[in-house]
Amino acid sequence: MTPARVLMNFEVTATSHTLEAYRARGGYQALEKALRTLKPEDVTQMIMESGLQGRGGAAFPAGRKWQGIDPYDGQPHYLVANADEGEPGTFKDRWVLEYSPHTLLESMAIAAYSLGARHNFIYIRGEYDLPYRRLAAAVEEAYGAGLLGENILGSGFATDIFVFRGAGAYVCGEASSLLGSIEGSRAYPRNRPPRMTVSGLFGRPTVVNNVETLSTIAWIVDHGAAAFRAIGTPTSPGTRLLSVSGHVRRPGVYEVELGYAWGRFLHEDCGGIPGDRPLKAVIPGGISSQVLTGKDAKVLTADEMEGLTLDHDVLRKAGSSLGSGGMIVIAEGTCMVRLLQIMLRFYHHESCGQCTPCREGTGWMHRIIDRIVAGDGRPEDLERLYTIARANDGTTICGLGDAAGYATVAMLDNFGDEFAYFVEHKRSRHQGNIECPAS
Amino acid sequence: MKHLIPELEALKRRLPPHQDGVLVLPALRRIQEDRGFIADEDIDGLVEWLGIPRIQVEEVLSFYSMLRRAPVGAWHLQVCHNVSCSMHGAERLLAHLEERLGIACGETTADGRFTLSTVECLGACGGAPVVRVNEAYREALSVEAVDALLEELAGAAPPDTPGGWV
Amino acid sequence: MPGIVIDGQALEAADGQTVMEAARAHGITIPALCWHPALSVDGSCRVCMVEVEGRGLAIACNLPVREGLAVLTDSEAVRAQRKLTLQFLTLNHPVDCGICDKAGECLLQDYHYAYNATPSVSNEPKLHATKHYSLGERIVLDNERCILCSRCVRFTREVSGSHVLGIEQRGDTSLIRPAAGRSLDEDPYSDNVIDLCPVGALLSRRFLHQSRVWYLTATPSICPGCARGCTVDVWHRRPDWQLQAVATHRNHAIARVTPRENPAVNGPWICNKGRDLADLLERLRALQPMVAGVPATLEEAMAAAREAIAAARHPLALVSTWGSNEELEAFKEHLGPLFTCRVKADHQRGPGEPGDDGLLIRADKNPNTSRARALFGEAPADTPGDTDLVLVWGEGFDGSTLPAGATTILLGSFEAPENVTAAVFIPLSILTERAGHYTNFEGVVSGFAPCFPAPATVTHAEELFPRLVPEGGRP
Ligand SMILES: Cc1cc2nc3c(=O)[nH]c(=O)nc-3n(C[C@H](O)[C@H](O)[C@H](O)COP(=O)(O)O)c2cc1C
Ligand code: SF4
Ligand code: SF4
Ligand code: FES
Repeated sequence: MTPARVLMNFEVTATSHTLEAYRARGGYQALEKALRTLKPEDVTQMIMESGLQGRGGAAFPAGRKWQGIDPYDGQPHYLVANADEGEPGTFKDRWVLEYSPHTLLESMAIAAYSLGARHNFIYIRGEYDLPYRRLAAAVEEAYGAGLLGENILGSGFATDIFVFRGAGAYVCGEASSLLGSIEGSRAYPRNRPPRMTVSGLFGRPTVVNNVETLSTIAWIVDHGAAAFRAIGTPTSPGTRLLSVSGHVRRPGVYEVELGYAWGRFLHEDCGGIPGDRPLKAVIPGGISSQVLTGKDAKVLTADEMEGLTLDHDVLRKAGSSLGSGGMIVIAEGTCMVRLLQIMLRFYHHESCGQCTPCREGTGWMHRIIDRIVAGDGRPEDLERLYTIARANDGTTICGLGDAAGYATVAMLDNFGDEFAYFVEHKRSRHQGNIECPAS
Repeated sequence: MKHLIPELEALKRRLPPHQDGVLVLPALRRIQEDRGFIADEDIDGLVEWLGIPRIQVEEVLSFYSMLRRAPVGAWHLQVCHNVSCSMHGAERLLAHLEERLGIACGETTADGRFTLSTVECLGACGGAPVVRVNEAYREALSVEAVDALLEELAGAAPPDTPGGWV
Repeated sequence: MPGIVIDGQALEAADGQTVMEAARAHGITIPALCWHPALSVDGSCRVCMVEVEGRGLAIACNLPVREGLAVLTDSEAVRAQRKLTLQFLTLNHPVDCGICDKAGECLLQDYHYAYNATPSVSNEPKLHATKHYSLGERIVLDNERCILCSRCVRFTREVSGSHVLGIEQRGDTSLIRPAAGRSLDEDPYSDNVIDLCPVGALLSRRFLHQSRVWYLTATPSICPGCARGCTVDVWHRRPDWQLQAVATHRNHAIARVTPRENPAVNGPWICNKGRDLADLLERLRALQPMVAGVPATLEEAMAAAREAIAAARHPLALVSTWGSNEELEAFKEHLGPLFTCRVKADHQRGPGEPGDDGLLIRADKNPNTSRARALFGEAPADTPGDTDLVLVWGEGFDGSTLPAGATTILLGSFEAPENVTAAVFIPLSILTERAGHYTNFEGVVSGFAPCFPAPATVTHAEELFPRLVPEGGRP
């Protein structure tokens, strides 16, 4: 494992998430530095120079997003940390919330200073319990120590953070839907234009960043943009938290330097596949990894993974993406038809129902695949799935419709024969197995 | 919900002024924590307190999978059956729970102790398979571990509100 | 003024317009289901997808114009996507056009024929939802036909402000629903959602299964329900599709009333009272001229009236606020010199009826008070004690204010007890039987045309007034 660490750079203990422990390892120095020595625009410039890309899925440059806001334009601005973490396979933000919540709070205070945000929200998914309690406790600690609220660290700067809990809707992870959820209306994703940095929360300029993206800010302010750029690759600077699950010996959250070799990561860091089964496929960045960045297949077959490095550019060129960092490892012998069935059930369940192609298409695909799995498949089904999937490509308000389509196209492109087999023989080539044969 | 208003009012102190819609979801969550579900009179109370149209509350309420209009059993077992958990036997766990509890998914046992349902990805795939028991996650469960869990819950004092905090 | 290009045609758009607006302003139709010019942009139906040259598909309704923007509304990609969108829209739609009131004026039907025109490619059973869901006394909802465009919801939020409707649940189980315990009856503008609904999901109970729309024709008219004078279309059986054997009364009945869009008066809306015009106009008609309660010919009645007028020393005329500009002017010209004229409110605000509400409805429940007052002044319509003859034109006369010994001449259209006790009663035609103009409270003049022939025994006020003048005038 690479030694470069931005977030997982301390030993986790029973108390390492507390303010005391955080301060003992140098916490809140970056905030102090920003408030005392930097102007708001300096911080944005620094983030710009660091090359930090969003960790929520789209890898959009954070600095560029922030530049969309003029902190001096005299209107309220809002900063929202996206801790909805609903992307199947993704559980890395939870690591920050549970083990280092102050990193997020300190970074948000700095970002709020840079963006001129008087009020901030952390939108945490409704099911998270321990992460919420850790975060809420950290917020109280920070208020108690004068690190949030009025006159922070005696600087005259004031900002508030409200921890907002979701209530079970994947689509609320989509930034504009999330804002609707906070506003207390139906959480429908919103059409762009306007961009959220023009009209976001309560119609005001708003920045929404992923928890991990934001949590990196304190480190960058502390160590400088150049130090951050020195980690990772020229086009993908820094590290990423990857949450690994599926058919793998040591699932969990890992911090890897971008550009790290995939094979080494799987076989050494994650301990390989149980029973040393061969690898069949990898979903590299959450089951919607593709949605947020590109258009092609997103499930990578074992052959495609071979020799890849974990890096935004490399995966994009390979036709997928690091997405939300939720990596699912799939061993040989797994029935891909059943896996797609689960994915389509998920998208069907989570579509907000606004856009025609997504509302009708996700359910339609779900019903078709249910029928195939029930042994009632028809020869035209696969073509039909392709058609429905493609009709969701770039035609909906948010990326959920696209994601459902990409998941389907990727599976059919890579494992079409397995689907054809199921339709023809009315049974799975792999006995419908989705558990690791050796586990 | 009236008795919760002072507590909910206190939330305003860290919120931007004059944006009372922000309190809809926190209030609904708090009401559910308190009563175990959201009753008609809670909606009435919320509408009156915030001065917002009733339809807004109903739209929000029905959008989220965690909010409910009817009580659940004392212990609400929510089995994650998304990709990673299914890859680790969630479907077997669910079948086992159905058999042990003698109910189908979505039902509550006759004694009102258990409600069984499925959920989509809980964000804990590293600990697959995961069952959310009321508010808390139980991870890396085998069939045996589920049996032990049922055992444990059978002996435990039920939470104050069904499906709520212990 | 950004210059844009639509399908190769260069045109000038206005700043701040969307491609949808610019296209429509130049007569180019881009199909749209959720978009409506009087509502906010929703952008959910995805039917208005156009191709931005070099950039791929985008919805026209939320695409701002900018200099040099070039879009294609009928490219290969656009056609293919539209076709699929229509497949999606009809996927779980019952396609029961044969029994749907909207058939013939349904956008989904039109677009299906124009852009899809192929059978469903689905093998899956359709999802079902509630049918005939009551939204109150006036409107029923068919959730299976609903395409979730949210026009109705936006109307109750952005226009009428009643906030009755919303979308509950999510995904393909989403349902239009009223808030618990509320109904659209509370919304005096509710019926506009019936027109707004691009499909047959919101149906008027009044019009339910009454007629196929292609058997109807619309005549421009004016709602006399209040001083706004909303311009409307009165729909009735087409002359070439008259019923011959059964229910022939429908040939001369109002089938429905819809707004006739008019930026100067009512925009695209009317209130429910306008929808219920039949309640006002199809009351029991008075068709028989009478002299002292005894049936007479029109000639006899007119002669009796002329006699009474000639004999009167202190005659008073109560002029109708439902008379047209033409009728009021005719009255002024011919009878004005013979009478002390007062303007009478034919209709009063009923119990529970809204007053001035800031949208359309006015507290004055008469369509032409404006013109009547301009001609006959503002004096109150009370009856001086020495009055010996009152000529009452229209409704709203309180007989108890009649001084002892005075007689009345009644000119009216509807059955009323006073008709029999009057010295003379002459039946008049109604709004849907004649042409004319009204002047609304803001001074805007609008016209109405006849829908039906007047019954043989009634007369038009405009023609009657000159014939009531006694030979040689009044002494
Ligand atoms: C359906 C959908 C779900 C999403 N869920 C999440 C999520 O759970 N967490 C997240 O950070 N971003 C999520 N996103 C991406 C956000 O819209 C947004 O791009 C991100 O929060 C921006 O932060 P970043 O630039 O720091 O990555 C989702 C997007 C879509 C389309
Ligand atoms: S793509 Fe799907 S989830 Fe996203 S806004 Fe449209 S209907 Fe909702
Ligand atoms: S009922 Fe009609 S207007 Fe309302 S959402 Fe459905 S289709 Fe649209
Ligand atoms: S009219 Fe543009 S999306 Fe419906």
